[in-house]
Amino acid sequence: MRLPIPEHGGGKNTAAVTVALVAALLLPTALTFLFGNDYPVFICCFILIYIIAVSGLDIVFGYSGQISLGHAAFYAMGAYGSGLLVNFLDFPAIPAMLAASILASAIGALLAWPASKLVFHFLSLSTIAFGEIVYQIITHSPDKITGDFIGLRSEFVNLFGYLLDRPGKFYYLALALAALFLLAKTHIVDSKVGRAFLAIRENTHAADGMGINVRKYKIVAFTVSAFYTSFAGGMYMHMVGYASPDTALQKQSVLFLTMLLFGGTGTLPGPIFGVVTVMLLVEALRDFQDYQVFIYGILMLIVIVALPGGLYGASKDIYHRLAARPATADGEGGTSDAA
Amino acid sequence: MLLEARGVTIRFGGLVAVNHADVTIDPGRITGLIGPNGAGKTTFFNCISGVHKIDGGEVVFAGRRIDGLRGFQINEAGISRTYQVINLFRKMNVLDNVMVGMHSRLRQSFWASLFHSPGQHSEERAALAKARGLLKFVGLEGKAGYPAGNLSYGEQRLLEIIRGLASDPKLILLDEPAAGMNSVEKAQLDVLLKRILGTGVTILMIEHDMKLMMGVADYIYVLNYGSILAHGEPAEIQRNPDVIKAYLGGE
Repeated sequence: MRLPIPEHGGGKNTAAVTVALVAALLLPTALTFLFGNDYPVFICCFILIYIIAVSGLDIVFGYSGQISLGHAAFYAMGAYGSGLLVNFLDFPAIPAMLAASILASAIGALLAWPASKLVFHFLSLSTIAFGEIVYQIITHSPDKITGDFIGLRSEFVNLFGYLLDRPGKFYYLALALAALFLLAKTHIVDSKVGRAFLAIRENTHAADGMGINVRKYKIVAFTVSAFYTSFAGGMYMHMVGYASPDTALQKQSVLFLTMLLFGGTGTLPGPIFGVVTVMLLVEALRDFQDYQVFIYGILMLIVIVALPGGLYGASKDIYHRLAARPATADGEGGTSDAA
Repeated sequence: MLLEARGVTIRFGGLVAVNHADVTIDPGRITGLIGPNGAGKTTFFNCISGVHKIDGGEVVFAGRRIDGLRGFQINEAGISRTYQVINLFRKMNVLDNVMVGMHSRLRQSFWASLFHSPGQHSEERAALAKARGLLKFVGLEGKAGYPAGNLSYGEQRLLEIIRGLASDPKLILLDEPAAGMNSVEKAQLDVLLKRILGTGVTILMIEHDMKLMMGVADYIYVLNYGSILAHGEPAEIQRNPDVIKAYLGGE
């Protein structure tokens, strides 16, 4: 997402990032002080985990334009894979998360290989089917190694002898990892690979004519995306110390998609906006938990009808209208990254 | 010769869209491809550029068989193209459109990009400078940050041309570059085509504007009902009774 005059925005961005970082570092202390318990910090950890998961979904859906309705499968594979590696093969948590994500992305690549030939709704159907298969395997495992419908317990992260057994401790690891994954995303997006993704989303036929191996890059997008989401799954497992089979449900995939669409696709801040807002909404409407999917549906409708660029797209529009400076190419620059 | 199509044939069901077409393109020239609507000109382009698999014949480019290669491989081999119906990445900005055009010439790997290696960084900088140079080449440097879809029709045609040039092709296929351009833009296109030729890129062009075509083309092929009806220098083509009949109808 190359803005036309990157040099100009540079200083302002660094300041904004610094402020955000300081705020993020102080957040757990402030929240614990305000609420008197660490439940809000627990939610913050989930927000960070979901930012990674949804950023991953954004790579495949927002950037390369392939819809996946089965990303919960990767999330669950990351969670269960990592948990099983820790429980049965005595992996330490972080290497287990890495190994499980690599495995899950390899499975993602295998799925994408035939699926990359499918277009839009056929692809989304195949991803739904895939999600269902993973759910069935998790809930009907051999010797019940995944705990079937009860779920799987595993260990907390042990960081060089320091056990991250409270959300307040895990938070900083999650923050560092989220920053790392977001940084990696900007690197991927700002390269030949990222431009190939966008080109495929915009016009597959022209992308082929420009020398882009469309199938290869579709598979790459799917694989990278699977890595992000499954790693987030691993983080969830070792933050809570437990994974529920519900994470493999279609509902979880719909949650990811709602967050992405609500925040805005094809941008770095979009998933962050989406995850934060949807998480806070879900928490605020906790009393109506039975209607969660209904709430997601309403959020999706709002986005589709009123906010095609998501919250981030809308806030950017407002910002540009307020800051309506003399017409320069600057004001038009960001539009290329709106889906 | 740079490209030789021998007996290229393609059928769509019962329709023979291109029938045993022999076309030879010499380097450093502008070769024109003309013919009435539906004669199979764009289909012929699609055969060369790997959009369609040909049913018969062969295409040799720079000494190498390229028929059977896929579109992206043909771009890698050194043939790029523009489209009759504008085929830009509309929501991407003008600069990024040109950067995508460089795809097959950029060496950076996925891992180099992920870790933002110094090599990747300097390649991106060089690519950016080159893209800006290309924008300047057609006078679009002021529009670098605009979404491609917001450009005027004529500007979009120019953008397609430089996006095609971005991969340093040996041959560029231009499918009706003047369509939708106004007379000023057409006059500029005339000059631009010669400047492109000056950079060492050979041109094969479909165009309905006969004034433009006869003015710039060194050699012309006429396609009619999928077959090559005539070929020769512009002056010969203009005198050819078969060509006149094909265009004006009559017995």
